[in-house]
This record gives sequence, structure tokens and C-alpha cells, in this order.
Amino acid sequence: MPLFGQLDVQPIASRLAQLTDLDTPAWTLAGAEILQLAWEVADESLDLLPRAMHPAVPPYATLLVAAYPESPAGPFNLALLRLMGRAGAHPRGYVIAAVASTPDSVHALRRQWGFPAELGGITLRRYHDQVTAVVSRDSEPLIEAALINPEPISGGDVQYIHSVTLARLPEGDRSAPHLIQVDPHYTFRKAERGRLKVRRFETAVWNAKTLAPLAPIAASITTCDTDLPQIRFVMDAEVPVVKGTRKIR
Amino acid sequence: MKFGIFYELSVPRPWTRESERTVYNNALEQVKLADELGFDQVWAVEHHFLEEYSHCPSPELFLTACAMITKRIRVGHGIIVCVPEFNHPIKIAERTAVLDILSGGRLEVGTGRSATWTELAGFNTNPDTTKKSWDEFVRCLPKMWTSEKFAFEGEFWSMPSRTILPKVYQRPHPPMWVAVTSPGTELDGADRGLGSLGLTFGQFAEQEKRIAEYRRRIQLCNPVGEFVNDQVSTVNFLYCHEDDAIGLQRGRHMANTFNYLASQLSSVREVFPAKSYPSLGLLPQLRRQATGPEASEQAGEGLALGGPERITKALKRWESVGVDRVNFLLNTVEAIPQDDVLDSLRLFAKEVMPAFAESKVPVAGGR
Repeated sequence: MPLFGQLDVQPIASRLAQLTDLDTPAWTLAGAEILQLAWEVADESLDLLPRAMHPAVPPYATLLVAAYPESPAGPFNLALLRLMGRAGAHPRGYVIAAVASTPDSVHALRRQWGFPAELGGITLRRYHDQVTAVVSRDSEPLIEAALINPEPISGGDVQYIHSVTLARLPEGDRSAPHLIQVDPHYTFRKAERGRLKVRRFETAVWNAKTLAPLAPIAASITTCDTDLPQIRFVMDAEVPVVKGTRKIR
Repeated sequence: MKFGIFYELSVPRPWTRESERTVYNNALEQVKLADELGFDQVWAVEHHFLEEYSHCPSPELFLTACAMITKRIRVGHGIIVCVPEFNHPIKIAERTAVLDILSGGRLEVGTGRSATWTELAGFNTNPDTTKKSWDEFVRCLPKMWTSEKFAFEGEFWSMPSRTILPKVYQRPHPPMWVAVTSPGTELDGADRGLGSLGLTFGQFAEQEKRIAEYRRRIQLCNPVGEFVNDQVSTVNFLYCHEDDAIGLQRGRHMANTFNYLASQLSSVREVFPAKSYPSLGLLPQLRRQATGPEASEQAGEGLALGGPERITKALKRWESVGVDRVNFLLNTVEAIPQDDVLDSLRLFAKEVMPAFAESKVPVAGGR
């Protein structure tokens, strides 16, 4: 059998986002701009992955920086740091950290989809030869990265892997950690690809030293219509997802 | 219809000193029996770094061992990754010629370009160029095998005039194939006169459509070699048991385990936005089928699992949609005990093979 993640969920359970319920309303997010950077990381990143999941081979991480000009919570920007792996047979990105740019978006992302969202600053800027992203918290830059030399590709050439968040779900009088699948749809209007450069990555902030870039893979930026859909699957964080998955709808 | 076996050589964790050796030795024992039972080909893949799924980076060595312990089964080197970072074309020409000589002219040559980020990045390969390098390689290989002197100047490799030695034993040269996972690759093969070495399990209707288009296109081909190989081969699982229910249950476990391991591979497209890998190939299908090794209720359409009658029926259906050859995966991560694998082969040869004896067609050249 493939390897499994080794994250011990209990010590961090109390800090996880708490979902209100599983009747999350879907959000339509039109005209989004999404920068994604991917790089290979250390095998030791297995320590950050829930035991329900398998690591990707080779292990890799993605930084996804999105600008959403419209949403039910108003315009906001979002940065997701994800460790990629497998939920059973399916590629999934486990969300290690999330930074959102407005209090309303932070609140909704935590309560409705279980993102470990924190309030921070996110800028996404396009220049003639690069697209840059800066993610900061308390005015301290945590990540500075860029897509270098963008070249047009088809939206069909880009594949966004669905996310899973680790959050507490209400279970009677208690709440327990679960993995929540977040699986947006995308309709691409424009896509570009380029090299990636990570100029700063304060891994210690998220206890994610093992996610430091070892080898760059690629960067892409798209303009697309997307969503944050209703929750369809939740999974036990401690047992293989092939045994611990619950279909919600 | 002809029957073959093929090997990924998957090795389960934990990897011990003996576990790899056991997998290789079991495979060799199966090949020897398959030869005696009348199977027509044994194929071995070239894969690198694919943990558990395939520990077969040097198929030419495994196939040489196969050739040495068998008399008539053909040895399929497939697929050779036709990307310069993996294999230099001169080395491909030389080692395939040696294997053809050692096997007494029993070599089949499969070509491809790799579809996983794990492998391509491991060799520091640009995924954008693999299709082009594959094209360059397959056009050169037959000339390297057959011309006394060969010189080449291409985009991916060049050489001054030299005599590439030895020459292949078969005349004019071994049959050539292209590995087909992504829809459309079979047409790339057809245009070049290459056999279609399908690596997708199941799905009669889709395969039938693709085979029909392949047949149409290959009529118009500009062959890269000195003859056209217009054969269509597909892969399947094989577990044959007198008791249909036992055959199904054990076979499905093996198939689901394989599919689950395959679904762990990081395809190029999953990781790297690439124009040259427009689809995930066989992975989406395998992911749909594989909810885990315990997913015993699942079995894809047309799999050769169960009792002889069920398997015969499935293979007759494959024959009717135009498949010339079926290559069987016999085991994965040793999910089925070796004695049961050997019994399955024997039962298949006794009960199923005779139903196809009269429909055998000659190998497409190369003898």
C-alpha cells in the first residue's frame, strides 16, 4: 500500500476552524484571477499530511493566490498553501494555511468550508514580464513569489486539484476533526504559464519548514469563473479515506 | 487473437532484501510456463521511480533473462521511453539488436514518451518536447537497424556517420509499436505505420470506435519502418479459476489493487500545465475504478476475471471489436499467491485458448 500521512490531529484540534453545519451555501466567484505555483518538497512533509491521505510521489506543494472581485462577502483575495497528496485514488491538496484579505471572507471561509483562514494582506500584481504575489500578516511579508515570463496556454492545459481542509464538525454536543472536500468548478477565460520564483517563504510561521521549495515545477495564472460549492464529501482524518468517507450530497 | 503477458513488476512495501528478487523470480517462472502453454508474447515496461507500482527500469535485462529460459514466446520491450534524457537512440538501437539476436529474432519494440511528472522531472525532461523527441526517435530506429552507415542531425540528437552494430536478427527489422494511453496517440501510431499497444483497460464501445479510426488511418500511413504493423493490442487482467465466483473475487482484488496504485502516480497534467499532455490518459478511468484494494464489487467491462466461460465471452467480445492481441497483467504487488497465478495460467491455456486457436493471424512481419 502507498504511504500514509503522519499528522497527529489531536494536538491541533482545538485550533481548527469550526464549521457551523454542512449546509454551506454555494458561492459564485465570477472573474477570478488565480495564480498557482507548484514546487517539489521534502519527503519529511509527510508529517504535515493527515493519516487519511497518501502523499504525492514526489511530494509537492502549491501556493494558490486568488483575487475574487465579486463574492457574497464582497471582493477579497485569498492565498492557500497546500500540500498535495491523494485522498484514496484522487489527487487532493491538503490546505496547510490560508490567508484572506477581509474579515468577512475569513469568517465565512472558516465557518462554511473549514479553511484555516487568517486575516492578512495579499497582493497580486501583473507586470509585462512577471506576475507577482505577496502574502503578509501583521504587515510582515510571509511569502513573495512570482510567475516569470508568462506565455499563453489554453485553459484546458491547466488542472486545478480540489482542496481538502481539516476542520471541526459538529457531532451532537461535541465537535470532531474531519477532512472537508472543497471542489470548485472552473470556466477558463484566459490562461498563461511560466517559471516560478519564490523570493521569500517564512515557513516557520505555519510550522511548515518541510514545504520549503526543493525543485520548482511550474506556475500558471488564469482568469476564470469559479465557485466555492456546497460540501459534497467529508472524511475521517484518521483512517484511509476509502473507509472513512461520508457523502453529504 | 493472440495472447501475451505483461509486467510492471510491482513490489509491495515493506521492501526487503528479498522482496524485489521474489517478484522478479516469480515473473520469470510465469514467463517460462507461459511459453510452454503457448502464450505468444511477454512485455515488460520501462518505468522509473514509481514506488510499488513498477520496479522495472531495465526491461531489456529482464527480457534477456526471459529469452534465455524460453523457446518461442516473443519478447516485447515496451515501452522504451523515447526521450533523450532517458535513453540515447544509439543505445536503444544497439541494445534492441542484441536482444533480438539473443532471443533468436523474437523481439517486439514498443515506443512511448512517459506520462508521469515523477519520471519526467526525475530525468530533468521538458514535458513540452517529448512528443517531438518520440517522433524523431521512431523515424531513426528502423534506419539505424537496417542501414550499414547511419548519420543524423535532428532537434534532439545528432551523430556523424557510423556503423551501428550489431544489426537486428529479424529481417527487415522487429515490429514496432506505440504505447497508447491518451486518446489520439493511436492515430499518431497509425500515421507512422506503428502497431497500437493499448494500455487502457476495458470500455468496449470507446475502444471499438478508436480501433476503427486507427484501421482507417493506417491505410493512409507513411511508415517509419520497412513494413507496416497494423496490429491492435490491448491490456487486460487475467485471473482464471474453475469457480467463477472465486475467480472474480480474487481477480477484482488484484485489479483494484493495481488501479489504486496507478492512481497514486502523478501525471504530467496534474502537476505541470502542458500543451503536449492534453489528457490524463488512463488515469481518470483507473481513478474511477479504484476506490481502494478492498473495492471488490468493482470490475471494469471486459476484464478477463472469473471462470473460463466468462473470460472466453469477454475475450470474444474484444475480438469482435477488432483487437488482435491481448496482453494480461497476472498479478500486482503479489496480491495473488504465485501458485494461484500459475494455476490460472494453466487453466486459461486449457479452457480458454482453444476457443481462439483458429482465429490466429500471422505476426505482422518481422519473422
